[in-house]
Amino acid sequence: MRSWLTFWTLWLLVAGASFAAITVVVIVKGARDLRDMFTGLKRSREE
Amino acid sequence: MNFAPIDWIIVVVYLAASLIMGVIGKRYVGSITDYLVAGRELGPYVGIATLAATEIGTITFMYYAELGYKYGFAAFAAAVISGVVMIIVGRTGLIISRFRELKLMTVPEFFERKYSPGLRILTGILVATGGILNMGVFLKVEGEFLTIVTGIDPRYLVTVMTVILLLELTYTVLGGMVSVVITDFIQYALLSVAVILVSIWAVLHTGWDSMVTKVVTTMGHDGFSPFTNPRFGVTFLIWQLLLWFALHTCWQTTAMRMFSTRSPEISKKVMTWTGFIFLGRGMLPILWGIAALAMLGTGPAGKDGVLLPVVGGQVLQPVEAMPAMLARILGPGVRGIVVAGMLAATMSVNSSYLLGWSSVISQDIILPVRRRLGKGPLSSRQQILLNRLANLFVSLFVMFWGLYYTLPGAVYLYLHITATIYLAGAFTCAVGGLYWRRANVAGGYAAMLLGAAGAIVPYFFLHWGENVTGFAAFGLAALGFVAGSLLWKRGDAALEVPHA
Repeated sequence: MRSWLTFWTLWLLVAGASFAAITVVVIVKGARDLRDMFTGLKRSREE
Repeated sequence: MNFAPIDWIIVVVYLAASLIMGVIGKRYVGSITDYLVAGRELGPYVGIATLAATEIGTITFMYYAELGYKYGFAAFAAAVISGVVMIIVGRTGLIISRFRELKLMTVPEFFERKYSPGLRILTGILVATGGILNMGVFLKVEGEFLTIVTGIDPRYLVTVMTVILLLELTYTVLGGMVSVVITDFIQYALLSVAVILVSIWAVLHTGWDSMVTKVVTTMGHDGFSPFTNPRFGVTFLIWQLLLWFALHTCWQTTAMRMFSTRSPEISKKVMTWTGFIFLGRGMLPILWGIAALAMLGTGPAGKDGVLLPVVGGQVLQPVEAMPAMLARILGPGVRGIVVAGMLAATMSVNSSYLLGWSSVISQDIILPVRRRLGKGPLSSRQQILLNRLANLFVSLFVMFWGLYYTLPGAVYLYLHITATIYLAGAFTCAVGGLYWRRANVAGGYAAMLLGAAGAIVPYFFLHWGENVTGFAAFGLAALGFVAGSLLWKRGDAALEVPHA
């Protein structure tokens, strides 16, 4: 039981840390992606 | 009522902003490609946001928390499998990369390219059936969450469900995938903040030691080991592995994100990094469920032998334990942020699912049937209108099913069985069609029909357990595919891959 608990605790730490870290990166860099998407859609409408 | 004025203000501001941003998306929609796959203009970061938001809803939190409440730390296995499989799919590009190269708009479209127009229609029907049945329980479960956390009278559950549906329907119908992507981005930011806040709050209020002690005293070793827990075991783990490979590659709403990326390479990147988010998507709500067990699990044993949650002398069901815990531990302001985050999660999933299933109904059932009847093609504008009507139909069905269908067991397992209806056959046909030269249309039909029968008959009519049902469906689909392909010697046309 002790080894299972250690195993799950490690996974939980990896999961929590990666969730938080990727979220920050996505929010910061995603805005530029959105702008690029609008530009691309606008361009294809004009063509 | 648990909600303070500040909580209402936060929620109303979020809803208004979401609606406005969603409606703005309409101005960028010029063709059916823009409407269904955002003109294939998704970059990696917004791709990760929209994929994560699409597959993280209040329903996700509810079913994972229910698993945590009922089966303790052993339930982490389900979450780890989902994340690890997603990372593997992303790294290898299994199916997704080829699908993106083919410039598909829906998964069943592949079946026409590789197999036959008839198999596309059959797959479309199974995809729509499985998908809509799957989505059918979302609103009810989400409505229950909101009524418990906010303290709204449960008599208004139907009203809450209707309001949620109307809001997401408005922007999905108008702007399609473009609106969904914009709102997903905002919703992802908000739901992530809520997830992190709730996780910290739950552990701080309950205490890690008391969570571990509660699982030890109520479940013993079974609360930690997925191999010895009677609900899981090896059959469950293998079924989950197969199912998650199928879900990450052939589930319409996930696949639509891959189709919407700028290139196959970006689709792989999006899938890989979202895999890490998927670890948290499952493990953190399971943790909330364990915290709810430690805090509220003091009632009589339910039919699974799990102690039922008790709040204010009232005995609840395990699925209601997590929102009841949140109603107790979150203070004014934080509760508003968390509910806005959960609403964001709800709307992002439902809007994507509405678009996903309606696109299958219009593109893979109605349009191919029209072609077979000898009718001319529809213009892009007519196709968008058709899709909007399909959206309305799916919404009405979801309302009806949510109100009148009673779940037989854990929400998580019901959702996975309804997904298996088409995924068992679709995944087999996709793998076989892309990577096995002898795959042919007879094998395709056999896989789709046997996979669907293997999920529907045992679960809905014979009342078998979910693990065996899921396993049987994948096994039958694979068997049918191989036997059909080998017995039917005629080769199929090579895949037509359009040039960029």
